[in-house]
Amino acid sequence: MKYKGWLLPPALRDFHEGRIWLREHSPIAEQDLNQAIERNYFNIIEGIQQTPHLKCNRCHNDNPQQFTTFDCSKCRQLCVYCRHCLAMGRVSSCTQLVVWRGPRAIRPTRHLLAWTGQFTELQQQATDEMLESVKVKRSHLVHAVCGAGKTELLFPVVHFALQEGLRVCIATPRTDVVLELFPRFHKVFPRTTIHALYGGAPQQQGYAQLIMATTHQLYRFEQAFDVMIVDEADAFPYIFDETLKRAVHKAKTAEAPILFVTATPSQKLLNQYQNSSYSFIPKRYHNHPLPVPRYSSLWGYEKKLKKGVIPLKLKKWTEDRLTQKEPFLIFLPKVELVDIAVSIFQALHSDILAVHAEDPERKEKVLKLRNEEIPGLLTTTILERGITIKNVQVAVVGAESSIYTSSALIQIAGRVGRNIAFADGDVVFFHHGITVEMDEARAKIQYNNKIGFSL
Amino acid sequence: MNKKETHCLLCAQLLQSEPSWKTLLTKQFPPCICKKCASRFEHAPSPTALYQYNDAMKDYLHQYKFLQDVALAKVFRQELQDQFKHEKSPIIPIPMHPLKQKERTFSHMEELLKAAKIPYIQLLEKTTAETQSSKNREERLQTASLFQLLPSVTVAYKEYVLFDDIQTTGTTLRHATEILLQAGAKNVRSFTLING
Repeated sequence: MKYKGWLLPPALRDFHEGRIWLREHSPIAEQDLNQAIERNYFNIIEGIQQTPHLKCNRCHNDNPQQFTTFDCSKCRQLCVYCRHCLAMGRVSSCTQLVVWRGPRAIRPTRHLLAWTGQFTELQQQATDEMLESVKVKRSHLVHAVCGAGKTELLFPVVHFALQEGLRVCIATPRTDVVLELFPRFHKVFPRTTIHALYGGAPQQQGYAQLIMATTHQLYRFEQAFDVMIVDEADAFPYIFDETLKRAVHKAKTAEAPILFVTATPSQKLLNQYQNSSYSFIPKRYHNHPLPVPRYSSLWGYEKKLKKGVIPLKLKKWTEDRLTQKEPFLIFLPKVELVDIAVSIFQALHSDILAVHAEDPERKEKVLKLRNEEIPGLLTTTILERGITIKNVQVAVVGAESSIYTSSALIQIAGRVGRNIAFADGDVVFFHHGITVEMDEARAKIQYNNKIGFSL
Repeated sequence: MNKKETHCLLCAQLLQSEPSWKTLLTKQFPPCICKKCASRFEHAPSPTALYQYNDAMKDYLHQYKFLQDVALAKVFRQELQDQFKHEKSPIIPIPMHPLKQKERTFSHMEELLKAAKIPYIQLLEKTTAETQSSKNREERLQTASLFQLLPSVTVAYKEYVLFDDIQTTGTTLRHATEILLQAGAKNVRSFTLING
């Protein structure tokens, strides 16, 4: 005899648990979704909340400028929609959001941590402190210099949380970082279902107890995570966008701790997290000091570049790198300067390439530099963090520009000397005048070296 | 829809509007996209279209029609108004199939005209919910009539202007023109936002 009732498809539960999703965009068959709604497995929420003030119930945007009212042909009245999270599928007054409240997905508690690396004393201390915080559900800030081995620090904490049956999210403001972290975690946690979520990510099967996502993707979660890890918390656009911050809080359960991991915490974060909820690693894993940037004046570099001439000092620096066969990164403050400069630099060496944020071949070009197929790259700040290239040397042209904040400069300087075989390197700030931010960046690096080597 | 934009509708940059005698003394719409975004659109050389299809236009159509960002109807309101303000013949936007319109929640052609404050009339209705973009050139040229007259409308012996978003093979406009001419129109001109 055939069973005539309706059984909850596990895929439905696995997908919807923890998510706040547009009803009509569910990847689940409509029939099953309707059955589940009929059985009260979902909370149904209106897309836009009108009272007490306009608010998008998905991204929690409440800036009236970011809403548009129009004559809707579907509900035949005036409809409001949110432009802030439009790219994830439009949320309007007449759309419904669904939040799972049915039975919870099965969370395996057996997870394998396949990592055999060794922690330094400082790393060990930081993970222990972090673990302690997670156990008592206390938020925590890990302040670790560039190249301290921040990702490895997370392994024991994530492993502990997974074995406790907790759902973990590692959120970062940049897609590049998600793409870099995902394969590493996949290797270290071979038995765990991990999903990587970013704009344009493919559909992934099953219930992921560990999710790596861009902070943008957190709009689509609600009270989902028991441990929230925010990597590179200071990176653009997280610092600028208040709604992204709210998204982090919305995506986790009320009592879930947030772990911030960064090399350049803001003063606010430093004030907020002290004593037992603060870990500091002032030294790199390979026990060598951080390269300290040096200043070199490059007056009127912009004019010269626009005239098609490489300023003498910069030319000399680049030629030195080419003759010594050291890979190099040259940071430029504007996309238009990158476009102008690339052809002039190619006169020095025809393989020098340029990257910027909208470059579809960004990943390939960075890979080429890593594989020593090209001698160097010209770039905007897009490569300021998250990339590791053996023996790379760095020049920041126009270090006085306002986009180079002290944390951006620290991150850029942090690209150099990450490999144990090449623990030192040149970081030069070519400038048209010295700014407070430049001094602050250098002072912070020197301070970390001082602390790190006086312990 | 009538609120003043403070940020570019396309790239969300803060708009810096410089008041000029022209904007103060004439009825110009305030800008709603930034200069950088505006410069990405390419004007069409033909007199029957405003723009040439390019990457910027592709992104625009994607956001406007596929992501249903109705606010983008305002982007071309000044250009459309300049084009149509001295138009004496009635303007007919190409209609959408009612089911399609319900799905998209708005008629993109009508919204463009509404945003530019241009009066229009409707005499036609779409008979099929199929889209032209899903067909290849041969299939498009062979399609049976896409439109019919709305019930109980009369077509006068005068000139009409059809308005569509994009012209590729011209099938849509040809079908609509034929229906109107058969019903007794004197002449039918067509105008598109984009030259495909």
